[in-house]
Amino acid sequence: MDGLLTAATAGLSAGGAYAILGVCAVFTYRLVAVVNFTGAAIGATGAFAMVALIEAGMAQFPAIVLGVLAGTLTATAIGVVMTRWFSGATASTKAAVTAALLVGMIAVGLRLTGGQDAHLFPAVAPGSAFRFAGVEVTNAGVLTVILAVVFTFAAETFLARTRTGLRLRALSERPMAAELMGIPVRRLAITVWMLTGAMTTVALIIIAPQRSPNFASMSLLVVPALAAALIGAFSSFRAALLGGLLIGIVEGLASGIDRFSQYRGAVPFIVILAVLLWSQRGARWDEAR
Amino acid sequence: MKRILAWAGAAAFASLASAAATGSAVAAPTCENGTIPVGAVATITGIVNFSDAPNGAKAVFDALNAEGGIEGCKITYTIADDKGDPAVAAQAARDLIDNKGVVALAGSASLLDCAVNAGTYVRRGVMSVQGLGVDPLCFNAPSVAPVNVGPYTLTTAMGYFADTVLESEKLCAFFLIIGGTEEAYQEAIANYEKLSGKKIGFVDLTLPAQGDLTPYLIKSRDAGCDAVVTNAIEPSIVQWVNTADAQKIEGIDWLFLAPGYTEALAKALADTEQPIYIGTEWEPYTEASEANANWDAVMTEAGLPKTAFSQGGYLSANVLIDVIKGIDGAVTRESVTEALKTMEPISHPIAGSPYVFGDAPAHAPMQATKVMQLIDGEWVLKTQDWLVLPQQN
Amino acid sequence: MKHASFGSSLAIVLSVAAIGGLSLTLLSSYWIFLLTAVFVVGIALQSLGIVAGRTGMISLCQMSFAGVGAWTTGYLNVAGFPGGLPVWILIGGLAAVPVGVAIGLPALRLRGINLAIVTLGFAAAFDTVLATITFPGQTSFNQVARPALFDSDEGYFLFVLVVYAVIAVALEVVSRTRLGAAWLAVRHSERAAAAVGVSVPGAKLSAFAISAFIAGISGGLLAGYLGTLVSDNFSMMQSLALFAVATMTGAHYVHGSIAGGVLIALFPELMRRLNLPQDLGAVVFALGAVQALSTGESMAEALMRLFRRLFPRAVEAPPLLDEASLPKPAVAETSASALDVSSLTVRYGSVIALDKVDITIPQRTVVGLVGPNGAGKSTLVDAVAGFLPTYEGSARLAGAPLDGLSPRRRARRGLRRTWQTTRIAPELDVGQYVQLASGGVSAHELDALLAWLECPAASTPIAFVDAGTRRLLDIAGAIAARPQVLLLDEPAAGQSYAEAVKLGQRIAEIPSLFGSAVLLIEHDMDIVRQACSTVTVLDFGRVIASGPPQEVLDLPAVRKAYMGVDGEAEAAA
Repeated sequence: MDGLLTAATAGLSAGGAYAILGVCAVFTYRLVAVVNFTGAAIGATGAFAMVALIEAGMAQFPAIVLGVLAGTLTATAIGVVMTRWFSGATASTKAAVTAALLVGMIAVGLRLTGGQDAHLFPAVAPGSAFRFAGVEVTNAGVLTVILAVVFTFAAETFLARTRTGLRLRALSERPMAAELMGIPVRRLAITVWMLTGAMTTVALIIIAPQRSPNFASMSLLVVPALAAALIGAFSSFRAALLGGLLIGIVEGLASGIDRFSQYRGAVPFIVILAVLLWSQRGARWDEAR
Repeated sequence: MKRILAWAGAAAFASLASAAATGSAVAAPTCENGTIPVGAVATITGIVNFSDAPNGAKAVFDALNAEGGIEGCKITYTIADDKGDPAVAAQAARDLIDNKGVVALAGSASLLDCAVNAGTYVRRGVMSVQGLGVDPLCFNAPSVAPVNVGPYTLTTAMGYFADTVLESEKLCAFFLIIGGTEEAYQEAIANYEKLSGKKIGFVDLTLPAQGDLTPYLIKSRDAGCDAVVTNAIEPSIVQWVNTADAQKIEGIDWLFLAPGYTEALAKALADTEQPIYIGTEWEPYTEASEANANWDAVMTEAGLPKTAFSQGGYLSANVLIDVIKGIDGAVTRESVTEALKTMEPISHPIAGSPYVFGDAPAHAPMQATKVMQLIDGEWVLKTQDWLVLPQQN
Repeated sequence: MKHASFGSSLAIVLSVAAIGGLSLTLLSSYWIFLLTAVFVVGIALQSLGIVAGRTGMISLCQMSFAGVGAWTTGYLNVAGFPGGLPVWILIGGLAAVPVGVAIGLPALRLRGINLAIVTLGFAAAFDTVLATITFPGQTSFNQVARPALFDSDEGYFLFVLVVYAVIAVALEVVSRTRLGAAWLAVRHSERAAAAVGVSVPGAKLSAFAISAFIAGISGGLLAGYLGTLVSDNFSMMQSLALFAVATMTGAHYVHGSIAGGVLIALFPELMRRLNLPQDLGAVVFALGAVQALSTGESMAEALMRLFRRLFPRAVEAPPLLDEASLPKPAVAETSASALDVSSLTVRYGSVIALDKVDITIPQRTVVGLVGPNGAGKSTLVDAVAGFLPTYEGSARLAGAPLDGLSPRRRARRGLRRTWQTTRIAPELDVGQYVQLASGGVSAHELDALLAWLECPAASTPIAFVDAGTRRLLDIAGAIAARPQVLLLDEPAAGQSYAEAVKLGQRIAEIPSLFGSAVLLIEHDMDIVRQACSTVTVLDFGRVIASGPPQEVLDLPAVRKAYMGVDGEAEAAA
């Protein structure tokens, strides 16, 4: 039993990363109605930009700032593509666009960063916070979980309480109507993209030292991230937060049990499937169908 | 002007040499059109970039051609990128064999060339002096004989090193299994157990290609391993050691395979206190030793970075040149294949074992390594002499 | 239709035969080797075309299905299973079917985006599993054996070509059946598909099953092509790239799948010739897919448009009316009312959209339902047709309760509806749509019905039909099914006055000619007066009047409800 607790705790820091990316995915979907497959790739772009600057001799802090800026710019570029050419498209088409873009981004990213090259990712939050069940819970792990929680509540409050939040919700539900109401749709949408770009970059910079820092594998963090978002049905930030943590913990558990650990990569899929089959028991007929 | 003179000199020398050769009974290779086509399949774009290996081979061939080639025969060398994509690798091999008419392959370095193409090479009677064998078929096919030790033999060698040099009592192993490497690693561990007479602590074949490593490090700590060998590749090694530091793990020797032996990795892990050992494929490239002198000179001349991969290309090109020089008559695919099958072992200072191709159903000629330790961001030679695996029967 | 299907099948066979003949006579064995890959990939693309192109679901795990087929073929080869490669490939395809169905199951209730995530998750999961299983026979150097006849490069090329042609023809035939039309209908609108009695889960599952089967076959062909395989052949990135290319070229068209195969299989060769890096391909495919998505037109569709512009197809003249051939009534007359709605109440949160509404439609009559915008007329249609998750009260069709049944079951029992905005899949032609909606009428009946409603000829593509006429087709489809009850939601909107009057006449004739009762929702009071025997007036979700049109429409309360809205509308205009 203790072994399982150890394994679960060990999975927590990964869960924090999935949660933060999942919450970002929900944020993007609720505000600009895009299921973004490039989410993690955007963050990876920013994180690798930071490393490139550090390797070129820049100090850590300005490099981080510029890295986040690079992630923000990448997100903005994708946001411009989405708002300019796909603002009226269906959710499926938009998802297909980002899936296609992911293929290209990974190819370019690998080319620029070198798949097998080791890069020095500086630890933003070095050291460990405390020891639990025989596992050092790292500062980075704690930070990602805190960040995920903060972002969850910030996003919720922003959408429910502020004027801009309400306008943004209107924007995702009825872009045409919002436009007629005089809301600067495109500017707001771009702002949302910038915000999520910055956020994912920060998240990936924090977790990169604990991860295999390879552009492709970082970009594919989008799989557990979207699984987490799906648990939140792309609407609940809290459910996405919990979903991300859950996937991390279940993965940790799976690698603690020898028989399953080989297939731990299948965990997000199994979690998605279970949650979907449970949550979508009744057929729904909404306008989108 | 100087170059032209040198060229003319070389040509004169070559013609003299060939005249001498035809005049005497000494074996001398001849060729059609004055060229000998040679090729390589390498993963250059995609998830890894192994181009240093074929580029190293190219530097050797270029240097040879500049000196007049083999008996006047220039080597035309084609490098085909496989993108780490099996379909592209198959095309690349067919292009080299059908269109370029290569007599043999040298300096190939790919994630999956052997697995995809070894069968084609057998059918077409083409041999590959693999510069960097990665997948298990490179060491398990009649048509391929790598000049590197390879991850499987190297795993055994690192276990042997842990046993004999570090005096480890409980070695544990973690492997990332891709593309059917499981049996090869199992066999490597079995060989370690035979050599050392010790039982392995545990073998974990479930290392993820991506994802958090914390559970694995906790597992090795809790199992009481005093040494851990893993086939993690370069970025994952950084992650591995960072996670070990984060978990404040002490008292375990970390043994990695050759892909981690780079300067970038040394720089990335400059601050760690963990004991890190890496087995090399060839004479450690960071050592300015006598053995490396010629390789160093060729790379400097060609303006190429000095990396371990380039040693593989360099060595395989040299092996192939030596073999072709020993051919009496036309250099064709058939004659080169025959020469490789019947060759005598060739010793080269940058490798710890003599290289031989031969006519076996499987080849793993290289059985020696030198171990490097990472100390304060510098690679330090741990074993002065070659650590040669004892032959087993 | 049979004729059209035969014609295009023949075209496929002839062009594939021409490609095969030309290639074998003109090309070296290296190019034959490359071309073989074009068609193997082409088959994988066709399999993706069924799910993505035809049925409109995003599948990001197509190569995983192919992997199942390939590995099965490998096992059968090592086991020395009798029958040789063709049998192994077939079994490999069948082995992929349960996997496809399993992935399709969550698709039943999921919209496209969720499905994309599920399939991507599956591809990632399959990667980790496949990576641990060595391809059968690889370590023992046991390559997948080809039949002696097809052992050479040229022979195997022919073999792949034949399989490609068989699959292309089979898909061409299927696309003209009810199943093929159902796929397109589901892609365009699941609601509309269910409303014409199409089983949406059935269409989706069959699409996934057939798609997985064909993908499995392409995997088996790949195994025979390369002799041995590695898990990278079927990785998630391969599936993503396949998806991008399918989107770019339009994989559900024969020429689209070949174009995609050419891109994937020959791009590396082009890069080799030009000395360009191989990874450029991924970037080109990604940009190409985005471009295709932004224009809403794949390469195949652009080509067809160009072809049509160069060689415009003669539009067939509309058929002449032959009243004797009109479909005969299919509903037995009973004593019960055709539709009996009692105390129907619908709430959206705290808003009451319908409040204890009672409407009875006697057999073989036309009942009008009028009321200002927002009165709840369309809500009533949605509730009766089964599109609302819950409502209170009950609806009975010829005496049998409908409550709790899915829209499709209601449609099957004889309750049909039309839509305010047309939801007909533009890829169909007029005849295909009416056949899909009706469940099958003879060609004579079809022509007669189209003539009766003044619709274009059966062979006219829907894409060529204007929005107003599409609404007529909607009605034609519903009539052809000869249901117990027909719910017509503002059929005359968008028609000219003369057309509307004509339509009113036709609607009035529906009960006597086809045996169906009609609930007509309409703003145009002339049509209502002309067609209806009874009128029910809704306002704010309540029935405020009911009776013969000439009496009801002159009631002060009705005039007020209408004039209020109309007056405002006029003032605003």
